[in-house]
Amino acid sequence: MLKMNKISCVYQTDLIETHALRDIDLNVKAGEFVALTGPSGSGKTTLLNLSGLLESATSGTYLLDGEDVSSLSDRQRSSIRNEKIGFIFQSFNLIPDLNLFDNVDVPLRYRAMGIEERRRRIENALELVGLSSRMKHLPSQLSGGQQQRVAIARALAGEPKFLLADEPTGNLDSLMARQVMELLEKINSEGTTIVMVTHDPELARRAHRSIELLDGQISSTQLFGVSAEEPDEKTEAESVA
Amino acid sequence: MFFYNLRLAWISIKQNVSLNLLMVCAIGLGIGVSMSMITLYAMMSGNPIPEKSDQLFAVRIDNWDPDEAYTDYQGRETQPFQHSYKDAMVLRSSTIPLRKAAMYKGYFVVEPANDTVAPYGQVVRMTDRDFFAMFNVPFIYGGVWSESANDLGERVVVIAKETNDKLFGGEDSVGRQIKMGEHQYTVTGVIDTWNPLPMFYDLNNKAFGDAELLFMPFAIISHSEFDRAGNTNGWKAERINSHEEFLNSENIWIQFWAELPDAFTQDAFKDWLDSYVLEQKKLGRFPRPLNNALDNVTQWLEVNHVVPDDNRVMLALSFMFLAVCLFNTIGMLLARFMGKVSVVGLRRALGASKFSIFYMHLVEVALVGLGGGLFGLLLSYLGLFMLRESVEGIEKLATMNLPLVLMAIALAIFASVLAGIYPAWRICQISPAHSLKTQ
Amino acid sequence: MEIRPILSAILRNKTGAILLAIQIALTLAVVVNAMFIVQQRLKFIGRPTGIDIENIIVISSQGFGSSYDHEQTVFSDLELLRAIPGVKYAAHISRFPLSGGGSRSGFTSTTDSDAESVGANYYFAQNGTIDALGVKLAAGRDFLPTEILTGEQIDNGVVASSVLITKALAEKLFPDGNALGNLVYGGTGDSSRVVGIIEKMHGAWVSWDGLNQVLIFPGLRKDSGQRYLVRTEPGQRDRLIPEVESVLEKASVSRYLDRMEPMSEMVGRSYDNDRVVANGLIIVIVLLVSITGLGIVGLASFLVRQRTKQVGTRRALGAQKYHIVRYFLVENWLITTMGVVVGTVMAFGLNYWTATEFSLPKLDPVFVPVGILGIWVLGVLAAAGPAKRASNISPAIATRTV
Ligand SMILES: Nc1ncnc2c1ncn2[C@@H]1O[C@H](COP(=O)(O)OP(=O)(O)OP(=O)(O)O)[C@@H](O)[C@H]1O
Ligand SMILES: [Mg+2]
Repeated sequence: MLKMNKISCVYQTDLIETHALRDIDLNVKAGEFVALTGPSGSGKTTLLNLSGLLESATSGTYLLDGEDVSSLSDRQRSSIRNEKIGFIFQSFNLIPDLNLFDNVDVPLRYRAMGIEERRRRIENALELVGLSSRMKHLPSQLSGGQQQRVAIARALAGEPKFLLADEPTGNLDSLMARQVMELLEKINSEGTTIVMVTHDPELARRAHRSIELLDGQISSTQLFGVSAEEPDEKTEAESVA
Repeated sequence: MFFYNLRLAWISIKQNVSLNLLMVCAIGLGIGVSMSMITLYAMMSGNPIPEKSDQLFAVRIDNWDPDEAYTDYQGRETQPFQHSYKDAMVLRSSTIPLRKAAMYKGYFVVEPANDTVAPYGQVVRMTDRDFFAMFNVPFIYGGVWSESANDLGERVVVIAKETNDKLFGGEDSVGRQIKMGEHQYTVTGVIDTWNPLPMFYDLNNKAFGDAELLFMPFAIISHSEFDRAGNTNGWKAERINSHEEFLNSENIWIQFWAELPDAFTQDAFKDWLDSYVLEQKKLGRFPRPLNNALDNVTQWLEVNHVVPDDNRVMLALSFMFLAVCLFNTIGMLLARFMGKVSVVGLRRALGASKFSIFYMHLVEVALVGLGGGLFGLLLSYLGLFMLRESVEGIEKLATMNLPLVLMAIALAIFASVLAGIYPAWRICQISPAHSLKTQ
Repeated sequence: MEIRPILSAILRNKTGAILLAIQIALTLAVVVNAMFIVQQRLKFIGRPTGIDIENIIVISSQGFGSSYDHEQTVFSDLELLRAIPGVKYAAHISRFPLSGGGSRSGFTSTTDSDAESVGANYYFAQNGTIDALGVKLAAGRDFLPTEILTGEQIDNGVVASSVLITKALAEKLFPDGNALGNLVYGGTGDSSRVVGIIEKMHGAWVSWDGLNQVLIFPGLRKDSGQRYLVRTEPGQRDRLIPEVESVLEKASVSRYLDRMEPMSEMVGRSYDNDRVVANGLIIVIVLLVSITGLGIVGLASFLVRQRTKQVGTRRALGAQKYHIVRYFLVENWLITTMGVVVGTVMAFGLNYWTATEFSLPKLDPVFVPVGILGIWVLGVLAAAGPAKRASNISPAIATRTV
C-alpha cells in the first residue's frame, strides 16, 4: 500500500537546516493499522504529511498504492489526496462557517459526484460517528470530541483506502479518546489502511504495529497484531474486488 | 491617558504602514473630492450682503407677451427680470422705498489723458445715486454725485480703486476728468475694492463676474445715445429706428432695486406696484395677470438659479463618493483591528476596561483621520487649482478660505471617527478570556 | 457549483461583505449616472457646428473718437486681412456665433398675425461671410454685393431684400420644403426673400434648443465695434495670429483690439461648464472605481488571510488549486452581485432624483448593464490576486497551524 525508500526531508530556514526525516524506509501493507510514536519534534507529523502528499520529500522514493508519487504534478497529487486518502487532524480543522453536513461534503465537492450520492455518503458517515441528528449544527456548537468525530466522518465520506490521523485524540479526554479509537478500529476492520500518530502508548498498543521515531529516524518497531503478516498482493486483490 | 493612547496609536500605525497609508489615501480622496465641491458650492451660495439681504428687493412687474410667459435662459416660466425705460422711470419716482436704484450696463471706451495707458473699453454701471448707500459700497475719496446730477444725467463718474490706480496713480482724483467717447466725465468719488459674490444686483449675464469699475448716472441715457452691454429682451413687434423710439419701446433692459427696511414699507410698496400695474392695464399695457414680485437678495439668488443644478448634482455625487471612501475605510479598519484581537484580549485580561480599549482605538482612528484630512486638504487645493486653470472666471469661487480649510480637517476627523466607531466597538467586545483559549 | 455553502460562509461573516456590497452599490449608482451625464455632455459639446471653427481666428475691436468711421474701417481692415498669405477668407459679422452673445427674434412665413413665430438667432453679414464661416449652402446662393445694406439704410428702416436661413429654420418655417425663393417675415411685418439655405450653422447660445435656427441679413450695421472672421488654410491658424494682429495694429485707426483668438477657444469657453462637469465626473469615476477595486482586494485578502488554515485543509482534502481560486472568485462575485442588485435600484433612484429635482434627462437604461458588467469585471480582476495567493497556500498548513 505504502512504500517509502530512503526518504529524507530537510527544512531550509534562514539560518539552519532542520533534518526532519533522515533516510526513512517504511512499508505499510493494505489493511494495516500503524501507530507512529516518538517525542515531540521527532518528525511524526512530517512523515504523515509526506505519506498524505501534503508535502514532498527532499529525497527518496515513495510508492503509494503501487504508483510512484514523488514526481507528480500538484493536480495529480490533489486528486490522489481527494480520492485515496482521508485525513484526520489533531485540531480537527473543521470549517467554522459551514454546518456539519457541508463540512463533510467538502472533499466530495471536489469530485464529480451527483448530489444524491453525496447526500447518501454524508448521511452514512455522520450516522457512523453518531452525529446524524446534528447535521445542521455549526462546529462551534459541538464539543471537542464531537468535532473530532465530524472530522472522522469527513475523512470516511470519501471512502479512502488510506486514512492518516495526526494525534486524533490529542485534544480529547481519555473517554472520548477511547471512543474515537474504537471508531478507527472499526473502520480499519472494514479494510481501510490507517496510519495514526499518537503520544498515548496505550492507544499505540491497540494498533497492529507501532513505529517509534527519534530525531527523524525509525528507532524501533513493535508488532501487536496479525494483519501485518498478510501479503500485499492478496489484500490489494481484495480491495479491488 | 490621551497621550499614552496617542503613543500607542502611533506605534500601531507604524506596524502596518501600508494599510494605514491606504486608509489615509481613501479618507484623503473622499475629503479632497467632496471639499472641492463643497468649496465651489459654498462660494456660490454665499450671501453677498448678509447685513441687509432681507431688506433689499429686486422688483419685477410683468408686462410681457399676453400669449406666452417670459422664460429664463433655461426655459423656466417667470416674471421678466428687467424693466422697460418707461416703467423704470415710474419706479424711480416712487417715494416709498428708503432707497432705490435703477440700473443697466453701458459700454464706453476710456481714453486716458496720459499716453502710458492705452485706450480701453469698459462696461460702466449706469445707475442712481442710492446704489452706493443701498449696497454699502465703501468710498475712499469723495462720494456719490449730487441729486441734481442724478436727475439731469450730468457727466459725472464714480470710479473704483483699480481704475483710480490705473488712471490717476492712486491719488485723490475727485474733480479730475476722464474722457470717454466725445465727452469728459468728472470724478466725484473713488470706491474701495468692492466685489459682491455673487454679483447679485445684476445676474443677467454672469453671477460670478467682477463688479464694474466705473459708475455713472442712469439718466445720461435720457439725453445721449451710447452703446449698452447686457441683455435687451422684447416680445412686441415694434419698429425702432431711433434712440427715442428705443426708450419708448416695451423692450426690457433695466434692473431695479429697492431698499424696504420693514414689513410696513414692503407692503406699502407692493400695494403701490399693484396700483400702478392696474392703472396701466386700463391703458392697455400689462396684458398678463397681475404678477408683481419683490424678492429679497436670498430669494433673488434662488430665482436666478445662481447655484447651477450641475453643482448641486456634483455635490451630491461627491458626498456619495465620500461615503464609498468611508465604507472602504471601515472595511480596512475592521481587518486591521481584527488582526489585533489577541493583543486586545491580553490587554483586557490585564485589566483594561472596554471603554479604554474603545477609546484607544478611536484615538488611533482619529490620528489616521487627521492624516487623511491633511492629505484631503492638499487634494482639494489641487482640485481647485485644476478648476481655476481650466475655467475662466472661476478664480474667486475655486479658492478655499480659512473656515473651509478648518471645515475640511473637521470633516476628515469627524468622518474617520464615524468610520472608526464600529470597528472600535467590535474590537472592544473581545472577551478577556480570548488570549487564554487560543484555538 | 458550491454556491450555497459559499453563501452561508458569507452570511457567517456578514460585516465585511455588507460593507463591500454597500461600496459597490454606491459605486454602481454613481458610476452609472456619472457615465450617463458624461456621455450626454460630451455629445452636447461635440455637436457638429457647421462652422469651420478649427481654422478661424475671431477678432473684435472697438473704435472710438469722433474720427472713427465704421464702414471705412471695416472695408480697409478686410482688405488688409485678405492680403495676408495663408488667409483664405476674411469677413465681418455682427456677432460671433457660439460666443454666448447674440440677438434672437421671431420669424414667420406668412403675414397672418396669428401664425406661431419661430425663434432664430439673426446676424448681419455680407457677401462672403458664409465662406469665412465655412458653412455650406444646401441650396441657393450667397448674397450679392448689391444686396448689402449700409448702416445708413438700416437706420432708415430699409428692409433687406434677401436673407440666408439655415436648413433647420427653413424646415420649421416651411414644412413643405419650399423655403428657397419664399418670403420670411419679421415681427414688424417686413419681409425678405430667402436666397440661400445654409446646410448647418450654430447660433449664439449653446444651451438654447433653437441653436440650429439661424438667419442672416445682408448688411453692415452702424457700430463702433468690428467683428472679423479670418479663415486660414488648414494648420496655419496659430502661425497667423501674430501676423493678423500686427497688420491690424499698423492700420492707423483709433481703436483697440479686444479679442484675437482661435474660434475654437471662444467656443470652448461657451462649453466650459459642460466640459468641467464631464472632466470632473470622469475623475470621480476613475477614483471611485479604483477605491472600490482596492476595497475588493482588501476584503478578499482579509478573507484569504483569515482562512489560511481552512484553505490548507481544503487542499489537504484534495481540492485542486483552481477549486480554491474558483471558491474565492465565486464568493467575491456573490458579494459584488449583492452590491450590484442594490446598486441598480440606487442608480435609478439617483437618476429619478436628479431628473425630478434638477430636470436632468432620464437615464438611458443601457448604462446599467454596462456598469454592472464593468463592476463584475472589476471584481474578478481585483479578487484574482488574493485568490491566486490563496491557491498557493500549502496543504501542509493544515497540520502545522493551530
Ligand atoms: N515548516 C517547517 N519549517 C522548518 N522546520 C520545520 C517545519 N515543520 C517542521 N519543522 C521541524 O521539523 C521537525 C519535525 O517536526 P514534526 O512536526 O514532524 O514533529 P512531530 O514529531 O510531529 O512533533 P509533535 O509531537 O510535537 O507534533 C521539528 O524539529 C520541527 O521544528
Ligand atoms: Mg506533530
